[in-house]
Amino acid sequence: MNETCRVSVERRGDVAVFWTDGYINNQGGEEIAREAYSELDRGARALIMNLEKTRIVNSIGISILIEVLEKVMERKAVLAFCGLTPTIDKTFRIMGLAQYAAIYPTEDEAFRAVSAPA
Amino acid sequence: MTDSAVRTASRIDDLTRALAALRPETESPLAVRIAQAARALAGARRAAVFLREANGWVPSFDSASEGPEWETPARFPDRAGVSEGRLWVPLEAEGEVHGFLALEGLEADDPTELAASLGLIFGAMLGVSRLSKLVKDAEFEVKARLLELESLYDLGLSLAGQLDVSALADEVLYRSISLTDARKGTLVLFGERGAPPLSRSVGGEILPPGATEAWELPAGDVVINNEASRVPTAGVCFTDCEKCLLVSIAVPERRLGVLAVADKESRDGRVLDFTTADARLLSLFANQAAAAVETTRLHREAIEKERIERELELAAAIQRQLLPRELPQIPGLELAGATRPTRQVGGDYFDFFPLSRGRLGFVVADVSGKGIPAALLVSTVHAAIHLQIDASDTIVELVSRIDRHLQRFSATHKFLTLFFGLVEPDASVLRYVSAGHNPALLARGSGEVERLHATGVPVGLLPNGSWKEETAPFSSGDLLCVYSDGFTEATNAEEEEFSLDRLERAFVDRLSMTARDLSDDLFREVSLFAEGVPQYDDQTLVIVRRNTEHGTRNTGEPVPAR
Repeated sequence: MNETCRVSVERRGDVAVFWTDGYINNQGGEEIAREAYSELDRGARALIMNLEKTRIVNSIGISILIEVLEKVMERKAVLAFCGLTPTIDKTFRIMGLAQYAAIYPTEDEAFRAVSAPA
Repeated sequence: MTDSAVRTASRIDDLTRALAALRPETESPLAVRIAQAARALAGARRAAVFLREANGWVPSFDSASEGPEWETPARFPDRAGVSEGRLWVPLEAEGEVHGFLALEGLEADDPTELAASLGLIFGAMLGVSRLSKLVKDAEFEVKARLLELESLYDLGLSLAGQLDVSALADEVLYRSISLTDARKGTLVLFGERGAPPLSRSVGGEILPPGATEAWELPAGDVVINNEASRVPTAGVCFTDCEKCLLVSIAVPERRLGVLAVADKESRDGRVLDFTTADARLLSLFANQAAAAVETTRLHREAIEKERIERELELAAAIQRQLLPRELPQIPGLELAGATRPTRQVGGDYFDFFPLSRGRLGFVVADVSGKGIPAALLVSTVHAAIHLQIDASDTIVELVSRIDRHLQRFSATHKFLTLFFGLVEPDASVLRYVSAGHNPALLARGSGEVERLHATGVPVGLLPNGSWKEETAPFSSGDLLCVYSDGFTEATNAEEEEFSLDRLERAFVDRLSMTARDLSDDLFREVSLFAEGVPQYDDQTLVIVRRNTEHGTRNTGEPVPAR
């Protein structure tokens, strides 16, 4: 597994799709936050984070994702996760991330959900 | 509108904006919002807020304030008051000062009352904010502890059904790194029976996997080294981490591997010390891993054992086919033969060969070793005898041919003892070769017993072995007992051997029995002697009786295995 978490982003209209590859710790979390805030500043209405290449998230990474979620909510945008391992899925549910961010099995399902008219 | 009315309206606008700035959904940090609101409320030119944080005082300024930023004072005033043209207001709640508000360019001449009001409003606001953060942090902490417990539970369930050691190692390592907030980690499982160790790492290998098996870890098998970059850990100086935590993966009296994590991180990017709580958590993961690895090993062994048992059963079935299916009917002779292997397959073999002119050949052989290798040699001997018996004019020639066959084709350096007898009823003679075999017992009709000793070395033992054929009278009423050493060397709980003397006495006491009854009774006798103690050598017995009449008294099938 990668020592440093790599984050790549693709913009699809007002939806920004993020792919992470590696450990989401302090470094990985900061990388995600930086890209997320940048996309929000550029008017993204929804962020989808595909974590299928991430096997580990620690508590620092989770706290940063919560900060991102708070910022997303301040901007009246939405955050969705997909491609979670069962362990990370359960971690997000216990730590409260799933309370305000939706979790979908696949990126397609997440995209369809956040693209649907409110 | 009068000037006064305009000023009042402007003031109301300022206050409205100030209160709007305080709304929680506003993105600016709270300190900035307080500075903005306080400047508007007090009608000041500039405002700043200094907050007490864990690493010192942090200033925040109203973005509308003009001029250079203020330096954080070396010392804050004890109470509200004006100093160097600025009004300093402590922001406190529940008796604790959380920060200071500083205002410059105030219109009011006596700001005492204003300072009290601002201190009350913004102190309470800061207190609530701080309390809210504390609650949030505590809630996060509780959830993190819950996550630890859930992880331990899930890991137990997950590992219970996990027989893939590699996947097991990943699962344990990922959870260990995640829950200790470590940046990196390595798990090493020692290889069994000289196999290389299995090693998994995240963030780089922090342990030298090949060396860990020799490590002497201290009592408890836990090492916390918060100075790992300069103090050796278990005798090794790690160059790729600052702090590390190691635990042994072990079952009682046996270490299976090592689990290590390194560089516990904080939100601000520092590397924190590992604590005893971290060590306890990692030990729990290591215990789960040890139990799972051991279960996997036992499961693998059980499958291997089952496979071997299936092969042994198959080999035993094949070997049973090598034993005579029925006793030959030879006029004037009464026969019995049986073998009792100590494993599913044994190294003993007996056979009968009806020959021309009413003669009978018979053999009892005992191959060195046990199990499959011995059974393979038995199979070779069986084939060799059946192939060579018709081509041999004498027993010595037959034994020599078998010896050459074994010397040439036997893959392993094994040998066998063998007693080959040839009964010629017409001449009342027993011819025999004993290749290192135990003395056969020949009982005369008178009750006298003669021991027929070896006439040569075991077959396959020496490159140029030689054997001598002996003869003995074999008249009506004579009885021959040939056995393997599993009979005489059977032991009881006192580790006493059944012995040749005891066998001879039992044999002599039963001379009047039929051959089959005699055979059954001798097996029973040795079993009684052993008192249920497991035996480690096959037991084989062949009885040949020369009858007075020329009929046969063979009764039924031989008993190849009991």
